[in-house]
Amino acid sequence: MANLKELKRKIGSVKNTQKTTKAMKLVSSAKLRRTEELAKRSRVYASKLTQLLNEIAAKMKHMRAEGLDNVYFRETEPKQVDIVFITADKGLCGGFNAQTIKRVNALIESYRKQDVKVRLRAIGRKGIDYYRFNGMELSDEIVGLSSAPTYQEAAEFIAEVTDAYLKGHSDRVIMVHNGYVNMITQEIREDQLLPVDTSKLDLDQVSLSDLEMEPEDDDTLLEALVKRYLEYSIYYALIDSLAAEHSARMQAMDAATNNAKEMVKNLTIKYNKARQEAITTELIEIISGMEALK
Amino acid sequence: MEFLKLEIVTPGGVIFDDDVRQVTLPGADGEFGVLPQHAALVSLLDSGVIEIEKKDGSVTAVAINSGYCKVDEEKTLCVVDGAVALNDGDLAKTLEEVQELLQKAQASSTAIATAVSKVERIAKA
Repeated sequence: MANLKELKRKIGSVKNTQKTTKAMKLVSSAKLRRTEELAKRSRVYASKLTQLLNEIAAKMKHMRAEGLDNVYFRETEPKQVDIVFITADKGLCGGFNAQTIKRVNALIESYRKQDVKVRLRAIGRKGIDYYRFNGMELSDEIVGLSSAPTYQEAAEFIAEVTDAYLKGHSDRVIMVHNGYVNMITQEIREDQLLPVDTSKLDLDQVSLSDLEMEPEDDDTLLEALVKRYLEYSIYYALIDSLAAEHSARMQAMDAATNNAKEMVKNLTIKYNKARQEAITTELIEIISGMEALK
Repeated sequence: MEFLKLEIVTPGGVIFDDDVRQVTLPGADGEFGVLPQHAALVSLLDSGVIEIEKKDGSVTAVAINSGYCKVDEEKTLCVVDGAVALNDGDLAKTLEEVQELLQKAQASSTAIATAVSKVERIAKA
């Protein structure tokens, strides 16, 4: 019976797929745990750094006649915006990459309407592939960083972005990535990297004591701190995105495994029905043959 | 005896968080010591060695590549890029790690030698 054989083959193939998806889910959950740990540890560093930056910026705002007038903080009407976005290097993680791309597209659209030029800097193969396919130009294409983030490489990348900003090639840098909330939720995050988003800092806190600075030049200190802050922001975003990727993949693979299970169930019922049908037909044939002989 | 709280944070996590008697930091404009009740200060840190006199009077060291510190009356916070702490394990290995860390930070060879010998001296004391 061709139909029976076909069904049996199908069941076997779905079962194999199920094995693969199950394994991928396990791998992702192990990786997620590791990445989550990394994110947790670096969160402390991030919060301390932000706190330090905040204090120095607040001090400069209060102590100096001209206020906080530094190139890193100067908010201008943008003419050229750089969008840095992070996607995964691999697929099979549900809508993870698509969501980021969708947000980037929406951003591009809204800036285009305001007659602002947009330049894209992509991290992660999936995003690169998408924009290449759609014939959009990417000024940076970085592969491998989003699946294995290192501080060094992240710092090198952001140094280049900062350089372009300082030279006036761009007036605003925005970063988009899909961040990790918990095991089952991811959230698109959009951060303004440059100029530093002062709304996130609490600049109006009154400093309790006069803070001595070393080196004396405030700008040197602030500049170095802002650079570090940026490096860290991108590094943290990469880790965050990686954690989100793993959790998204875990979910996708879980759903796939469940679907496969459902499919096997349905196919088995079909198979049994077909088998029963075959038996019935055969029986009828035998009986009618016997009847004919009488 | 008065203590100040010292916290050293790196991207890899918190590596030191305890009350100490005194700490010596490698500032960008030169080395400086911090005792409890030190005036508020923010400083850039150069690659070098943080010397810590712990609560019980024993001395330990943490080699760093670069970072910042913020001192106020009761607390000193160091936010550094990379650090190697002196521990009870293999000294030779620790020294090697210190050297590697500083080399990555492109410190001059004299700075590396000073830092390594300092860590060694403290370890053997």
